[in-house]
Amino acid sequence: MAAVTRQETVGVGAGAEHLGVDRVIDLGPLHPSAHGAYRLRLTLEGPAEAPVIAAAEPLVGHLHRGAEKLFEVRDYRQVLALANRHDWLAAFCNEVAVATAVERMTGMEVPPRAVWLRALLCELNRMLAHLVFLAPLTRALVGEPTAGTTAAQRGREVVQEVMEEASGGRIHFMFSRIGGLREDVPAGWTERATHALSTVESLLPVIRKSTVDDEGFRRRHRGVGVLGADDAITLGVTGPAARASGVDLDLRRDDPTPAYAELDVRPVLRAEGDALARVQCLLGEVEQSVRLSRECLRRLPSGPVNVRLPKSVKAPEGSVYTWTEAPLGIAGVHLSSRGEKTPWRLKLRTASFNNVQALARLLPGTAVADLPAVLGSFALVVGDIDK
Amino acid sequence: MTNIAGRDDEGLRVAANHPPEGPRDNTGDQHATEDQRTVASTEQGGNGPHEQPELPPRSRGVIALLEANCTVCMLCARECPDWCIHIASHTETEQPPGAARPRKRNVLDRFAIDYGHCLYCGICIEVCPFDALHWAPDFGYPGTGSPDGDGAVAELVHERDRLGQWVADVPPPPPLDPAAEPAPEKAPRGLRPAR
Repeated sequence: MAAVTRQETVGVGAGAEHLGVDRVIDLGPLHPSAHGAYRLRLTLEGPAEAPVIAAAEPLVGHLHRGAEKLFEVRDYRQVLALANRHDWLAAFCNEVAVATAVERMTGMEVPPRAVWLRALLCELNRMLAHLVFLAPLTRALVGEPTAGTTAAQRGREVVQEVMEEASGGRIHFMFSRIGGLREDVPAGWTERATHALSTVESLLPVIRKSTVDDEGFRRRHRGVGVLGADDAITLGVTGPAARASGVDLDLRRDDPTPAYAELDVRPVLRAEGDALARVQCLLGEVEQSVRLSRECLRRLPSGPVNVRLPKSVKAPEGSVYTWTEAPLGIAGVHLSSRGEKTPWRLKLRTASFNNVQALARLLPGTAVADLPAVLGSFALVVGDIDK
Repeated sequence: MTNIAGRDDEGLRVAANHPPEGPRDNTGDQHATEDQRTVASTEQGGNGPHEQPELPPRSRGVIALLEANCTVCMLCARECPDWCIHIASHTETEQPPGAARPRKRNVLDRFAIDYGHCLYCGICIEVCPFDALHWAPDFGYPGTGSPDGDGAVAELVHERDRLGQWVADVPPPPPLDPAAEPAPEKAPRGLRPAR
């Protein structure tokens, strides 16, 4: 009997049932990739009870809000309020990316304390994002929470609390300004941040036990959804998803800001490129972020955290490209200015947009039954894809 | 009431979760006494959706309007990234006793914030030259419904009377880290940053 090929659209996340898809892949409660509901068009083959993916195409654009166009009619402070929104789990990193572009164009010097606090808050943001992605993975096969789930959620909460205490926001921090930060951190914050780091560190073994150290988890994730290093480079995949495939690139080490240049950043690498390796990379990066944050806290200089700005900030005519290592990969900003107080063009290079293409390469050959494991391990933020 | 939140303000009440205590001159005071920063201890566990969590003073909950400070300059409405502040005003002419010429004065007719649009970015509060706008940590305000979801998104445009009530909940700003530069209002004259 000839192999039967058929097409199916698959929606990710429980909310996807309203998108008119043939099949819903539920990644469990609060999986960040499930917000905004991205879909895949799959070509399936094999028997109806155990179909295997022959081809996959991500269907994106559902959440397109025209962020880049909105930037063009806003001044640089207003741009920051929007730039921390397309990737809602990398809010602070994206604020810094845009602010850095404007600072580089105007030749502004950011005070050292602001540089170090930015690095610290970026690492806290990274921890927050990774813990949010790890939390649904810690659930047992049937979805009930484990000790690891509680640990991941608690880790997220303690990091979010220190971010909130400093910035006032829990997701959209709006703490960066052109030239530094909005204001300094409150008294006692550094102690509470140190304490939060110890809490996260003590929770990590529990999270490991429910994920990469759990035999059932390893069996479900090992060898599925393999992304080769060559494919990762060809498709521009970056961040933990690429490092899990052995792509040795981390901008914190390879194009560091002054603070990162003095920190000992060791990219967390795996060679396998499968779902298990991606989860291992996320965990390894949380561990590294705890270490880097501690170092930032230890070396935090005193002094101002911002500079005196002119009444309206104008980037001089010209263009600049800045990039930074966001939790899910490279977040780039191409700013082109005609010397006005609004950008002429502000193009985003977002991590998830490039990374989502890799699904077309890594899904073929995967059984549909393995899709939750593969998609759950492949961290994406839909707002970051669609902008 | 012309007191400004957090500035040597004996007249300002603080949020319910801030026990009334000690000197309240906290604006960037590096030697402030141990006070309201018992609030956001990082050690507390996750608060359930039905409990009122203790929120840090910088928490961006709602925007309170201290009407006495508002000069209807419209800066907040102009700087808002998505134009969610609605202001209407008119000018009145007064003849102060003893003055040579009549004076013109702006009178606020309407001040409303559409929280359905608000991005909670805080730019309006930052640009206000007279500290008429403040963050209050409330989040269970009318329009967001009960924790069970009843009555959610009923009315998210809040007028000046409601915005004025939140002034009572505005906490004083927390003292700054000892390694920080003094807060702008504590800096000597001439060295204060421009708005």
